Amino acid sequence: MAVRTIEVRERVMAKNDELAADVRQRLRAAGVLTLNLVSSPGSGKTTLLERTLTALGEELGISVVTGDVQTHNDADRLARHTERLVQAVVTNGACHLDARQVAAALDALDLERTRLLFIENVGNLVCPASWDLGEDAKVVLFSVTEGEDKPLKYPKMFQQARCAVLSKMDLLPHVPFKVEQAVEFARRVNPELEIVFTSSVLDDGLEEWYGFLRSQLRRRSAA
Amino acid sequence: MHEMSLALEICRIAEEQAGPGQAMNVVTVGVDVGDDAGVEVSSLAFCLETLLGEPPFAGAQPAINRLRGDVLRVSYLEVDDGRPDD
Repeated sequence: MAVRTIEVRERVMAKNDELAADVRQRLRAAGVLTLNLVSSPGSGKTTLLERTLTALGEELGISVVTGDVQTHNDADRLARHTERLVQAVVTNGACHLDARQVAAALDALDLERTRLLFIENVGNLVCPASWDLGEDAKVVLFSVTEGEDKPLKYPKMFQQARCAVLSKMDLLPHVPFKVEQAVEFARRVNPELEIVFTSSVLDDGLEEWYGFLRSQLRRRSAA
Repeated sequence: MHEMSLALEICRIAEEQAGPGQAMNVVTVGVDVGDDAGVEVSSLAFCLETLLGEPPFAGAQPAINRLRGDVLRVSYLEVDDGRPDD
């Protein structure tokens, strides 16, 4: 029997990147700034979004696509803080969102009422770094309970991020976390990285976070 | 998990490129992996061996070729389509 060879030479991420480019074009045409929120599980993405939706949901026209491996729990939590649509994506085992899922979620959002779209990715600092979702920028969270060397352990994610949120600062008295070292590690990986320090429980540092969001929207408007 | 998601995409490409109903005849899936692609090669090979042993495939083998750079692509397929040798 003859074995024939088929030349393929197709990049593994080609299909996703093509869909992500479509998503990016669609969102930019609608004037929407899109931030892909990434972190390890339990860093506080959903809590930060709860506070942000409560404070700025209407003012900044925020919509959310939130991804989880299983359950709608995060979407249900967020929906309690806003009248705006929160679109859930259950990945059914996949450890990241992909551009196809985001494209499908956009169909359920009112983009005309949206200026700022958060994509809350699946909690994972590895795979989401490889999957372009059509976002304008990534924001990476890490908490003081995780260790100062997160940026060194997961450099690709921190290199790609425009902003890092060091979360759960209220726990600092209870954990052996060295903030200066964490900042040094983060800047070593990405010298341009903006860093904000937050406690969503105590509402500390959130004005700086909101300031970052407003600056990104101004930057978009000026572009 | 990262390698499994990549392996799933590689299998999707292989199934598409083999053509309708031909995935079961794929013998080899050639994959180029760059040293800077962020891929753990032995893990990717294991994931591919697992997936290519299940329908719609029927035991195809991955052939991973290490390269420089960050390339990650399906480079070729070998398909035994049952036709007699020339």
